[in-house]
Amino acid sequence: MIEFDEQQKRLVLKLVYYGPAMSGKTTNLLTLHDQLSLQGRGELMLLDTTEDRTIYFDLLPFFYVAPSGMKIKLKVYTVPGQVRHDATRKAVLQRADGVVFVADSQSAGMSINFESFDNLEKNLSMVGLSIEHIPLVIQFNKRDLTDIVAEDQIRSAWGPTGLPVLMASALKGWGVLETFKEVLGRTFDAVNARHALISRFGVDKEDFLTTILTVADDV
Amino acid sequence: MSETTTHIEFIIGTEKRLTEIISRAEMEPLLRSLVKAGPLSAAVLDEADLPLCRQGLEKQLTPAHEIRHALLVEGEPKGTLLVTFDPDLATVPEALAMLARDALQLIINNNLKRMLTTELHTSVVQESYDQLVATNRQLMESEKKYRQLSLSLEQQVAERTAELQKAYSRLLQQEKLAAVGGLAAGMAHEINNPNGFVRSNLVTCSRYFQKVQEMVNFYQLQIAGNTQLLQLQQESDKKRRELKLDFVFSDASELLEQSISGSDRIARIVADLKSFSHVDESGSADADLNDELKRTLAVLAPQIAADAQIIQDLYPLPPFGCNPGLISQAFFNIMQNALQSRSAGLNVTVTSRSDDSGIKITICDNGCGIAAENLPRLFEPFYTTKEVGSGTGMGLTVARDIITGAGGTLEILSTEHSGTTAIIRLPREVGKR
Repeated sequence: MIEFDEQQKRLVLKLVYYGPAMSGKTTNLLTLHDQLSLQGRGELMLLDTTEDRTIYFDLLPFFYVAPSGMKIKLKVYTVPGQVRHDATRKAVLQRADGVVFVADSQSAGMSINFESFDNLEKNLSMVGLSIEHIPLVIQFNKRDLTDIVAEDQIRSAWGPTGLPVLMASALKGWGVLETFKEVLGRTFDAVNARHALISRFGVDKEDFLTTILTVADDV
Repeated sequence: MSETTTHIEFIIGTEKRLTEIISRAEMEPLLRSLVKAGPLSAAVLDEADLPLCRQGLEKQLTPAHEIRHALLVEGEPKGTLLVTFDPDLATVPEALAMLARDALQLIINNNLKRMLTTELHTSVVQESYDQLVATNRQLMESEKKYRQLSLSLEQQVAERTAELQKAYSRLLQQEKLAAVGGLAAGMAHEINNPNGFVRSNLVTCSRYFQKVQEMVNFYQLQIAGNTQLLQLQQESDKKRRELKLDFVFSDASELLEQSISGSDRIARIVADLKSFSHVDESGSADADLNDELKRTLAVLAPQIAADAQIIQDLYPLPPFGCNPGLISQAFFNIMQNALQSRSAGLNVTVTSRSDDSGIKITICDNGCGIAAENLPRLFEPFYTTKEVGSGTGMGLTVARDIITGAGGTLEILSTEHSGTTAIIRLPREVGKR
């Protein structure tokens, strides 16, 4: 959690899209930006890239004001996936409230997915977070490609983790909102469990989710 | 350098106020130019509507025409651009205010990006530096550990080497004892043989001596009884025949001669052994290696099969300064191998030659030879092809050590099933240098 000011009734949350290089984290954010209404969100900020690869991070902010006046700002980040940017990943992970792990569905990407997941677990513990407790959603992206691992195979490999696993094609625009909704709901529940958003600040979960997930008219 | 690093920690995502992002120096020229273009005043206000920067009229005489534009940080209004115009103006140039808003927003966005990048960069650099310091410390610690380890390693190696040397010399001693044991068995037989007949001769002789004593006693009795000479003659002839003294005398002298030669044989064997082992000598002496070869063959004699042919082809050699006891041990080990190389029809040729380059001794047999795969391991300690218990695997190792110790070389040439030649080369006058 970035900020929680009870007097100002202001809460700033952080979500992080994590995963191996080229798995489609930035594309997820671009799709969210394109598909969701401008009312609930701010502009997508893409920091400098080299050859279109993220080297710092991308940021897409969302806003929600409850009828009670409670303001919730949600900052959604991507991390650079390349191994060499580990320190950046760690810095972005600090105080995260929820994580989406974007995995590459291609057959060649399986071992890299596991490596990156190990890296996530390690970095979470280094910034004082636990993979056991943080809201975490797995997205298998690039389902539109042909040489991909079958869904039942993925489910049998990742099922034992007990984590929600979603299929998506960020490029084609499907599965992205579902993933976002899943992590958003879980993050809301986790924050609510700690700070009693619903009882103390009159924040309604359904209203929060529908407001943020308002689909843009022209999509 | 201090180990503790104090540094600013940036949390990615920390909320920023407008004043943190845009400076007065950036806003002022823009607002000043804006006011010059017509408005009465232009100001940037923070979240609480307090002015951060203002240009134009301080006080407005008449209620002015106000245009407000929100300034966004990460899509969230964090301040306001307030532009006032003369209310009497026919048309308010709204586009002017929008232009200023767009310009300010651009500065804010770019500044924010730059700040985020810088913050992230700083914390990443700081983190990498901390990691480097930590890694460096670990490396120094492990280097220290390894240095200590290598120091103690040298000591350990020295200790183990000393242990090995002790064990090796113990083994050499055992090898010597084994050779002595083998020798002793042969020698025991060699000595027992003559000793056996010498003893049996002596037993017979002692019985003969009793007969002679009985004869002498008979004479003394006859003389004391004053027996007549004729009667004495008859009686004594009768007694002599009874005691078979004629035979006794001739046999006894034969037995004694035999015993003397037997005793001589024993003496010769003991002398051979003594000279072979050089028990009376210690350290270096000038030796005639031909003598050493002969003595070695002599003590090995019991091990030589009856049908074996031993050819000694020895040329005079210059005296060789060495420890004769050790050299003969080397000859012994090599010759023993030759003698054991074949059970029937064995031929062993021992040659010795000398020229300006030194002394060359070859011991050549027509025995079983050595298999090619065993040749490289000949001098390896404990390597033996003999049955367990019958060979120590040290014979050739010891022989080579002795010969190299004397400044020479030992070479073994062999073809399986056709025989082995051992070539010993020794330098001239090594002991006199």
